[in-house]
Amino acid sequence: MTETSIAPNISGMDIPMDAWTQPFWDAAAVGRLLVPRCADCGCFRWPPGPFCPDCQSQRTDWVPAGPASLYTYTILRGREEGAAPVVPGLAEFPEAGGIRIPAAIVDTPLSALRIGAALNLGWSQAANAQVPVFKISD
Amino acid sequence: MRQEAAIAGVGATPYYFRGESEPQTLYELIGKAVLAAVADAGLTISDVDGLVFYAGGFDPAQIMEMLGIPEIGFSSQVSGGGNGSAAILDLAAMAIDTGRAKTVVCIGACQQSRHRFGMTFSNYAPPPDAVWARAAGLVGGPGQTFALAARRHMHLYGTRREAFAEVVMASRDYASTRDGAIRRKPLSLDDYMSAPMLADPLTRLDFCLETDGALAFVVTSAERARDLPQRPVHIAASAQAGVREWGRAFFSLNQSDEEFVSGGGKPVARMLYEQAGIGPGDIDVALLYDHFSAPVIFQLEDYGFCAKGEGGPFVESGALRPGGAIPVNPHGGHLSEAYVIGMTHIREAVEQLRGTAVNQIQDARIALVTGGPAPIPMSGAILRN
Repeated sequence: MTETSIAPNISGMDIPMDAWTQPFWDAAAVGRLLVPRCADCGCFRWPPGPFCPDCQSQRTDWVPAGPASLYTYTILRGREEGAAPVVPGLAEFPEAGGIRIPAAIVDTPLSALRIGAALNLGWSQAANAQVPVFKISD
Repeated sequence: MRQEAAIAGVGATPYYFRGESEPQTLYELIGKAVLAAVADAGLTISDVDGLVFYAGGFDPAQIMEMLGIPEIGFSSQVSGGGNGSAAILDLAAMAIDTGRAKTVVCIGACQQSRHRFGMTFSNYAPPPDAVWARAAGLVGGPGQTFALAARRHMHLYGTRREAFAEVVMASRDYASTRDGAIRRKPLSLDDYMSAPMLADPLTRLDFCLETDGALAFVVTSAERARDLPQRPVHIAASAQAGVREWGRAFFSLNQSDEEFVSGGGKPVARMLYEQAGIGPGDIDVALLYDHFSAPVIFQLEDYGFCAKGEGGPFVESGALRPGGAIPVNPHGGHLSEAYVIGMTHIREAVEQLRGTAVNQIQDARIALVTGGPAPIPMSGAILRN
């Protein structure tokens, strides 16, 4: 029997926000994954910030990130014997310029972890925000 | 052509397990290293007129008051955590070249009783633009994010765990002969494979030691160094560099595809080889910053010792060993000797080029020292005797 990953416990975690990340969290609160795209040159960027690193414009559109796949991952185990593993991964968004968002891979059998696997979006509740998590179907 | 600078003196405290350097303070450790370095160079504290630090938290004023350094004309500090360690030599060499100072003491030290470098992610609150990694469970340190890169390197190039094991085993075999090294017991492949995973695919043994210590280096002009007691070790090239595609490295995790599975050192390598007018084949011994095993493999690729993606088979061939293609970290490195943020690597380069190293590489003439893969500035130096 293979082990299944769990979500890191972030229920008490306060997500710090600023003017340039706030739109991400506002969209997340209603279950939408939006990412910043330069309104002038069309380049995606991650993390969100005040300038487009490709053309230095500050005009930004927030657009759907599109489908995600697993770029890489690691497996972390708690100190306690038998603790279920936490799997931090990088979700890559090919339709959003290949940006990568770090996110936990949850409720996933470790045997299903595979670089390139399609990821299904879910949400995990922090103290003040919904945080994206991803799942792989076995 | 710049006026060449040379390392004329080296000083070090003993290396201690994390916290065991107390009740000495960090400044006391620094003071001991500086005094030892100045004495090694055949100089006195009054000769010191420049101070260079790596990394944060060192106050030149306090060091001057503590040791009675009469006057300085140059002081600077390299930023960062691991990345810039070799850049102290770059700053010192520029100060010598421009005439701003004649005797620069470079200092690097750490005391981890309170602040553990390996838990650096939880040592500070995440900024708004880097909170995703924390929420993903990356709450420890760079070992967890290098695990992400190691996994990807394995996926792209077929790199095996045996390659990471060989980096650790080679370092341990070197350290076994070195007094003062912290981990000296030789390690078998079985030992490695049965070590607990800290961040799969990296085990506890793939993570460097957590130690305390201070080291100092006296840099002066090559011309003056010739009249001092030690065999001069020339700074043939030095660089601090980096490209946007590497950026904040494991703090943003949005390096380019190519950079993601690298150590970010390619621009440093290019600058160093250009300055020195040599290539990787001319390097006799490489002191590669080994905060973790996997980035040693990445750096071997960055610095051109093997082709991109071939680092795994390259190390498994025995390349790092005595008589191998490129002996790496004959002092045992951060993995087995001690971790003092890259300073021990500079010391070993000097000892190799003086011909006094414990695990002396025969006829070593040219050494490469690198700073640790981490956010820009990446750094490196080529030293020659």
